[in-house]
Amino acid sequence: MQTLVQYLISSGIFGRHAPYELVAAITVIVMSAAVFLGVAFPFAGMVSWVERRVWARIQSRVGPNRVGPNGFLQWLADGVKHVCKEDIVPDEADPTLFKLAPYLVVLAFVLPWAVMPFSSSLILADLNVGILYMTAVTALTVVGVLMAGWSSNDKWSLIGGIRSAAQIVSYEIPAGLSIFPVVLMTGTLSMQGIIRAQGWAPQHWFLFANPFTMIAAIILFISALAEGNRTPFDLPEAESELVAGFATEYSGMRYLFFFMAEWGNLFIIGAIITTLFLGGWQFPHVTRNVVVMNVLQLITFNVKVLFLVFVSMWIRGTLPRVRIDQLMSLCWKYFVPISFLDMVGTAIWVAIWPNGNEWSGYVMFAAGIVVGVIFVQRVIYYLRRSRMELYFRPTI
Amino acid sequence: MTAIGSYFRNIKDAVTTIFEGMAVTASHFVRRPYTVQYPDRTPMRVQDTLPIRYRGILEVDLEICTGCLACERACPIDCIVMVAEKDPATRAITISQFDIDIAKCMFCGLCSEPCPTGSIHHTTEFEGADFSLESLIKRFVKEPIPAYKAKKGPETDPRIAPILDRGMHFLDEWAQPGGEKSGSTT
Amino acid sequence: MNTLHTEEMTLNMGPQHPSTHGVLRFVVRADGEIMREAVPDVGYLHRSIEKIAEKVGYHGFMPYTDRVDYVCAMFTNQGWASACEKLAGIEVPKRGEYCRVIAAEFNRLASHLLSVGTMAMDIGAMTPFTHALREREMINDLIEELCGARLTFNYMRIGGVAFDLPPGWREKALAYLDHFEPIFDEYNALISYNKIYIERLANVGVISAADAINYNLVGPNLRACGIKWDIRKDVPYSVYRDFDFDVPVGEGRWGKLGDAMDRYMVRIRELAESARILRQALTRIPSGPVLAKVPRNFKPPAGECQVRIESARGDMGWYVVSDGTAYPWRVHVRTGSFAAMGIMQKLSRGLMIADLVTIIASLDVIAPEIDR
Repeated sequence: MQTLVQYLISSGIFGRHAPYELVAAITVIVMSAAVFLGVAFPFAGMVSWVERRVWARIQSRVGPNRVGPNGFLQWLADGVKHVCKEDIVPDEADPTLFKLAPYLVVLAFVLPWAVMPFSSSLILADLNVGILYMTAVTALTVVGVLMAGWSSNDKWSLIGGIRSAAQIVSYEIPAGLSIFPVVLMTGTLSMQGIIRAQGWAPQHWFLFANPFTMIAAIILFISALAEGNRTPFDLPEAESELVAGFATEYSGMRYLFFFMAEWGNLFIIGAIITTLFLGGWQFPHVTRNVVVMNVLQLITFNVKVLFLVFVSMWIRGTLPRVRIDQLMSLCWKYFVPISFLDMVGTAIWVAIWPNGNEWSGYVMFAAGIVVGVIFVQRVIYYLRRSRMELYFRPTI
Repeated sequence: MTAIGSYFRNIKDAVTTIFEGMAVTASHFVRRPYTVQYPDRTPMRVQDTLPIRYRGILEVDLEICTGCLACERACPIDCIVMVAEKDPATRAITISQFDIDIAKCMFCGLCSEPCPTGSIHHTTEFEGADFSLESLIKRFVKEPIPAYKAKKGPETDPRIAPILDRGMHFLDEWAQPGGEKSGSTT
Repeated sequence: MNTLHTEEMTLNMGPQHPSTHGVLRFVVRADGEIMREAVPDVGYLHRSIEKIAEKVGYHGFMPYTDRVDYVCAMFTNQGWASACEKLAGIEVPKRGEYCRVIAAEFNRLASHLLSVGTMAMDIGAMTPFTHALREREMINDLIEELCGARLTFNYMRIGGVAFDLPPGWREKALAYLDHFEPIFDEYNALISYNKIYIERLANVGVISAADAINYNLVGPNLRACGIKWDIRKDVPYSVYRDFDFDVPVGEGRWGKLGDAMDRYMVRIRELAESARILRQALTRIPSGPVLAKVPRNFKPPAGECQVRIESARGDMGWYVVSDGTAYPWRVHVRTGSFAAMGIMQKLSRGLMIADLVTIIASLDVIAPEIDR
């Protein structure tokens, strides 16, 4: 970063006597704009396409397949459509807050990218409180959503906004508590530090380190889904109840912003879990070449994250929505006590085996494989059960 | 004690049922989708795949229309307007107007049922979108034409015979009161 | 010191709300998420179908009956046809009755599939809806081949049916039933036994047996309250006497007896029973004519009659008064959905807003049937 700024000043694009701070600020803004416009937003768009395709296959449909190869450019077409649409601000709405709300939601989506550990050296800022920062800024969504719900001056939006606030604030607690076991085991809050404490092999991941971390991982994943307003916790925008929830009155670009943030948040959910429990970018040392190593790590990280993104889409295609009181009781009666117990359990575990227990990793990993095998068996059972496919229409 | 039992039973139920549900949805990743990609990505025109009984847009074969007005009388919404004059001297019927308002038609099939020759029948065509209501009124008679007169024996005119055959084919689908058909034993 | 000012919120749900199944409207008085009351407001889909009957005559009214309840039009067809037959004393041929039962039971499958599918969709799971509609699509294909239409069938005639079964149709229908029964286990594993789903439905909108009778609920809604009343069994019409089938009633296995889950499960189990009836009907269908001789200018003798049909939404009554002319003097249809709307206000008290959606879906109200 510093060398880049020094180089820019010496190259003379900004004039000979440009102040260092100004050049640094401009560089940061341009770079982050490039990252967000070039990585984050297209990613959110592509996720929307992938989600629609995955969802369609689950539902025996085809999904968008007309724009571009296999409909891949659908997200671009949708984006252009939304940008071209009229931006309506209702008469009775509070115009300032109404216009501001989508940006706050997007802000909560772009800020976590600053500490995203893509590889051993590809990270914008390796803060020593990285994971804390991550949970703090993602919770900013609630401000935007509440603002949108309130300022729309619409009862459906209001209910959606309030639901969202209640939901996100409640689920912060189990999510935060589920991070503790990992922090206890590593003694650091830095994203890179947590990843370095794990190994590339699954039995060295924190997911399989001991039973407590596995439960913590599951709770964190579900809580993160709840914070990201994903099914089965999509109450704030529950279509069949609240029309479109807090986004009811929005149109065009602003509406798109909410959904871009939702889809983009999937990546952040995946990244948090990957970092904490799935070994992050850890890849076996196959070469001394730093660049090649970094590329391999980048691929590893993204594959893990995208798998989690896929799982969350799959969950969305499977489960119905919980009711608001059940959502709350799930959080306070189940997740919060369990994650507290979990934290205590991890503390005891760490006290007994300060350097971790090698065997528990193998045992847990084997248990995971057994569950996977049972799952595949069930899938094959359902495939066989209704294998007889019947098509009356020759056009299918 | 039961409270604690139900607490853990809830967790167990949730985990197992969600596991099963996920297995069902996972099995759909490898199944074929059930979508007709109408209109452009079908191996053949959808219209050609529809059964003969399909009640699409009405069509009239004027060559075999007897001018009996049975369809006009049967239509519950009067979307068929027909004018047929009988010459008192020669007893020949001249059809001077035969309009069907497709915009009004509800595709019930009550008009084609009483037709003695199958002249008025439903096609498998269903794409009827147009820019004005006027263009949806189908005017079959351009200039007054003589009505078809059923002959005693089989039809001899080589031009009309295939049309009549087709008409009777449509007619055969309808159940005859008290009559038994070849299909009735299947 | 300021006191916090609170007030009730009046929410207008519908007629363009996504989960009101067409054009229902509810005026909801809510205190936050909790409903004080939801008052149904009917009449947005009124088309004066009963009055039309007085203008179009007996034969011509048949296509209009399709529009009384377009989700299960076979039953409205059958109701009108059997009312006219009773009025004029026409005997329907045996094969005609079998054709009617086959068509109607297929239609019941289609209607219940739509009902359970939209139920899952209203709860928030989109996948079961498309799976149910996929199965319904095949039934539509079958019915299309039978009578030429997918929704407004106009299949039945006074004195029988308009079409005999096409060649090869029976085998197709049996193949479909073979395919359908295992698919439904999968559907159950996907959604019916899902813990979240059960939690959403159990103990919601509990109707006691006494209430169900007092509010005149019919069909699956009534049976879910534990009352075994099915017109097909208790007041047999058509050829239902020939078939061996059970009448599923609510069990209260997942919550209180008569809750939304019971109504849902009764529909699920009725699907299996309908498939059973269909199997029997398709294998036993006799040969013979399907349509009795009925004059084209149909003039029943003066009088009145009432016919009851077990439609997919329960006891459907057709009341026809004839004055001996070619046009009925008065026609009235008694439908299950209208009665179900009546109990909505009582059920909604003290529930969550999300539960209103559940109740609407579980009572399986169809907007055109409410207003006609």
